[in-house]
Amino acid sequence: MFLEDFGASIQIAFTYFTIIYITGLGGLFSERSGIVNIGLEGMMIIGTVTGSYGTFYFSTELDMGVPLGPILGLLFGLLCGALFALIHAVATITFRVDHIVSGVVINLVAIGLARFLSAVFFGQATQSPPGQPKLSPIDIPLLSDLPWGLGRAFQQLSPMVIVAILLLIPVWYSLNRTRWGLRLRSCGENPEATRSLGVSVPLYRYQGVLLSGALAGLAGAFLAIEESQFWREGQTQGLGFIALAALILSNWNPIRLLWAAFLFGFAQAIPLRLDDFFLFAWLPPQFIRMIPYVVTIVAIAGFVGKVRPPAAAGRAYEGGGAL
Amino acid sequence: MAASPATVPAAAIRERPSWLEPLLVQVAALLLALLISLAIGAVIIILYGENPIDVYSAILEFAFRDATSFGTVLSIATPLIFSALAVAVCFKAGLFNIGVEGQFLVGMVTATWAALHLGFLPGALLAVGVLVFAMLGGMAFAAIPAVLKVKTGAHEVVTTIMLNGIAVSFLAWALNGPLKFTATEGAFNVDLRSDKFSTDALMPNIGEAFGMKPSADFSLLFPLALVAAALVWFLFKRMRLGYEARAVGSSPGSAQAGGISIGAVQIKVFLISGALAGLIGMQQLLVDKGALVQNYEAQLGFVGIGVAFLGQNNPIGIVFAAIFWSVLSRGESALQINTEVPREFVIILQGIFIMTVVIVYQVARRWAARRQLAREGAIDNMEDSSATDDIEGLAREDA
Repeated sequence: MFLEDFGASIQIAFTYFTIIYITGLGGLFSERSGIVNIGLEGMMIIGTVTGSYGTFYFSTELDMGVPLGPILGLLFGLLCGALFALIHAVATITFRVDHIVSGVVINLVAIGLARFLSAVFFGQATQSPPGQPKLSPIDIPLLSDLPWGLGRAFQQLSPMVIVAILLLIPVWYSLNRTRWGLRLRSCGENPEATRSLGVSVPLYRYQGVLLSGALAGLAGAFLAIEESQFWREGQTQGLGFIALAALILSNWNPIRLLWAAFLFGFAQAIPLRLDDFFLFAWLPPQFIRMIPYVVTIVAIAGFVGKVRPPAAAGRAYEGGGAL
Repeated sequence: MAASPATVPAAAIRERPSWLEPLLVQVAALLLALLISLAIGAVIIILYGENPIDVYSAILEFAFRDATSFGTVLSIATPLIFSALAVAVCFKAGLFNIGVEGQFLVGMVTATWAALHLGFLPGALLAVGVLVFAMLGGMAFAAIPAVLKVKTGAHEVVTTIMLNGIAVSFLAWALNGPLKFTATEGAFNVDLRSDKFSTDALMPNIGEAFGMKPSADFSLLFPLALVAAALVWFLFKRMRLGYEARAVGSSPGSAQAGGISIGAVQIKVFLISGALAGLIGMQQLLVDKGALVQNYEAQLGFVGIGVAFLGQNNPIGIVFAAIFWSVLSRGESALQINTEVPREFVIILQGIFIMTVVIVYQVARRWAARRQLAREGAIDNMEDSSATDDIEGLAREDA
């Protein structure tokens, strides 16, 4: 049944949405503060391996069970993502290394570090023992009873999906309605003027980058714990770059990011359930996976709408306070 | 800047040749970065209860103990040379080609198609045809960000990141569809791959001439990589396009005022970069595996960015940087055989090293620039400049 498959696709899309959205919010904090972060993928990779280990350690070794084990695992991934992002922050803010160069190195280092950590944690470099515990899935009231198989979309969702959607509220509020958010954004638009008001630009940029690592790490941990229930090498499959694409398409706006992340999450989910649908019969699944990238290129090239990144993002800030 | 241009060469000539000081700074920075990363690495090794000197010498010994070992190192270095050259060519023109990874994947697809369909070419001409198709594939894929940049202003970093994602799916599609093996005999337990290439399509193994065993996988590709490095050197030192590219890279405004068409130069440079990127996959395709396989070695395009940085975008520097990188990579096996330290330690060491190099170079460059300014006495009349800001900042931190 097409509608049933459609419902199931939406359900899978929610999982990918969560990963893309949380990571994209991370990129949002970093880039709005003026630090371009193409290292999201790497930070997510660190989140997958550490999140998986955290769950393994807290639920199995310390026997904390569900839900405490997976929750602590998620938080451990978040913490390690932030720690790893510290490298990007020190390089770009304190030492003023080119943001893109540092991001590329972050992604390279992450792959190696993940293998190393996995060897240390699990005794093998490429995966953890499978079948680790996860949070109990939930059905959304009312929506999960929708007829024609559409309810399938809202059944057996990870509670983290709800958390991800609700994240919009604190993110939007802190960015747009607090002094902290105003200052963070102004660091990304005009750091010189910001400094003239007595605000420490490096301080805010450090916070932006650390937040991006924390959120990317959380998303990675979610991927390993909630989606796969184990860690394996190559698990992120470029989702960090898709998050970056969603961020660009959303024009660095958290509300639009919500839609972009869902759209791209759906594009990831289609090949898993809907590939026998007549429209896709002539379109190989691999081409559907290209959609987020193609859409972003089209947007960047200015064929549709206008993409405007934070004015000072990517530019080295030469003011005082850093080396 | 504010200083009159005449004072700069005069001051430099009086002391030492003008190229010497930047070179000394670079070498010193490199050695410093090496020392720092080896020291950090040593801490990790000690945590494993091993002696850092033993571990490091095991890595070196494994790379240089005989011809076959060193040949293996050079085969690992071969794709990295192509990759780093591809990055460097763009970098000199002020372009950041993160899409080397994608261009290399597309190059593997077109090369595989050529190897399977150009069988009518006689003898070694087939191998030549395969290499040409690899370069064409890389060029075609590099043309997309180049044209988008010139025509629409889309930043090449973003477009190439996106194109990398597209290339991964493109290769997966090709391997599942048009390039999937057709010889099904016993194929059900074979990993997904293309048909095996005929031997005419492969790169001849020339290791025996140097006393290496065939297992070193040392082929004609390594000398080809050296030729590529020489050509890139020639391009930037002796050719008009290289000069124009450097002008566009260092000062687009003056380049345009000097009558250079920036767009045309950017497109040409991107195409050259794409051609080099297309050759990255040939070591695994035409020497190691003899077919396109599903678990191909990825990330080579990104490693090339690191190697290009180590080599400071200089073709000669890149060759040495790639070999150095490969000595470490080869050391993985040494660790596994000889020590308790996990082999992944090498990847960590490489990562620490490249990050340290990037930071130390950056600090050294700023230090050299500040010294230059101080020597010209320019600081006094540059109240608002970044240089004085730096010094104020430092003074505040010291206080």
